[in-house]
Amino acid sequence: MLGCLGVVLLLSLSLGQQTINLLDPDPLQLKIVLDLRLPRIVVALLMGGSLGVAGAILQGVFRNPLADPYVLGTSSGAALAAAFGLLATQGTEIWLVPLLALTGALVTSAVVVSLGRDAWGVRAERLLLAGVGIGFFLSAILMLVMSLAQADGVKRALLWMAGDLAGADWSVVPMAGLLMVVGFVLALARRRGLNALALGDEVAFGLGLEPGRERTLLVLAASLLTAASVALGGIVGFVGLMVPHAVRALVGADARRVLPLSAIGGGMLLCLADTVGRSVLPPVEIPAGVVTALIGAPWFLIMLRRATGGGLR
Amino acid sequence: MSSLRFDQVCFSYGNAPCVVQFSCNLAKGELVGLIGANGSGKSTLLRLGAGLLTPTMGQVELDSKPVRLWKGEERATRLGYLPQSIEAPLPFRVGELVEMGRAAARKDHLLSCREVLAAVGLEGHEQTPLSQISGGERRRAFIAMILAQGGKTLLLDEPLAGLDLRYQYELLTLLRSLCQAHNLTILLSLHDLILARNLDRLLVIRQGQLLADGLPTEILTQRLVQQTFDLEPGFQVANVL
Repeated sequence: MLGCLGVVLLLSLSLGQQTINLLDPDPLQLKIVLDLRLPRIVVALLMGGSLGVAGAILQGVFRNPLADPYVLGTSSGAALAAAFGLLATQGTEIWLVPLLALTGALVTSAVVVSLGRDAWGVRAERLLLAGVGIGFFLSAILMLVMSLAQADGVKRALLWMAGDLAGADWSVVPMAGLLMVVGFVLALARRRGLNALALGDEVAFGLGLEPGRERTLLVLAASLLTAASVALGGIVGFVGLMVPHAVRALVGADARRVLPLSAIGGGMLLCLADTVGRSVLPPVEIPAGVVTALIGAPWFLIMLRRATGGGLR
Repeated sequence: MSSLRFDQVCFSYGNAPCVVQFSCNLAKGELVGLIGANGSGKSTLLRLGAGLLTPTMGQVELDSKPVRLWKGEERATRLGYLPQSIEAPLPFRVGELVEMGRAAARKDHLLSCREVLAAVGLEGHEQTPLSQISGGERRRAFIAMILAQGGKTLLLDEPLAGLDLRYQYELLTLLRSLCQAHNLTILLSLHDLILARNLDRLLVIRQGQLLADGLPTEILTQRLVQQTFDLEPGFQVANVL
């Protein structure tokens, strides 16, 4: 897996609108690699990794193989809060973006979970429907904000929110990276809870855990990771959905292995998607979010078919 | 020396009484069945025993201490609880379930992972996904998980549900041998009165109250069964006994 990651990194550094021989770059090419491609790759790795881990957490906690930050609407909530922040500050306080995204993700998670539960606890289908509904609503508001935004800089910043990594630079990396690390460490520390919750609250209790407490901590971890991903590159769907499944098919469902491998796999997938997006149709750049959706949507439908037993019932 | 003791336990969901003045002592090494009609309070009793629910009156004691006072790992190393519905929406492997049970109790493991799987007849299946084994094997994989916790008291909510006759007998034989080999106390709810005859002791409940408690051969009478399941007087109980 690390070998694959290395290949993806090298490809991503050398491919783009201009193909660069990494062993013998001229000064301009070196500048392109270091100032444009390197930050973009780091952003893609962190963002994809965050999404992969957030998806792995949400699928386990809510016992739903179709859950991820995008489907549950938390990405939209984070993006909307960040967009309001950008508007209010006219795009000057970039470091605020991850924290606003975190607030948005937390509020949206709380609302979706409270809508997704009934007297007996969280219902898988209900939660998914609540998430999709809230997600659409928030996305619509986000688009409204975008079309109303006047200042050019703000408009560009908001467009970047839609999952285009072309403008990636180092500005949000420290703060978003911090959120990601905290979220990842928290999730890894609660891996026993994540495993047990996937088997249901009663089984988790029997294993000596407090289901409510574990769930709260894990949703908090997923919100931190979602906020990190949104602050880095806006809304990118399907990475959080696909990656954990691919990982589980390879190594089983134990969170101890699934969480780290989802981080690597997610980073790799998004980096690859971004490389493909900026290489296939030069000079046009296809946003990474579009590439992942082009792969992800068919995958989602296959998952849906499998989840319902593979046939008409 | 009792391992699990219900003392005048009452419980209600809202205003609806569900368990009424229930008392009994489960001794070490006993394989005990819990019999009753649907909605008679079997699952609630098991949840009370596991500490998932707190009695509105009375007390449940595990190893001479109220079960709710055993916290986390301490409780998990003494008591294993398996609910009726065991669904795994993610593709866990058999070995991963056993590891979860072992992780719940970090010290004094009663059995190794291999021994646990051998005990439930799933040796060599560590890497098999739960989705690729039969319902009976899945049930046994979950039993392996709670055996790996190392608790001496097991509460199983309808572990035989959904299994065919052969798997039901196999699982019951397995539970019997575990009881004897490790001096476990097992309380399981079940519906099959023929299988119930193979247990050491039966608790029969109706509307949350204990109707009878004793050896299956002695207490399973025509009258008791009619009363337990509210059957017409003309119903030939002999056919189900």
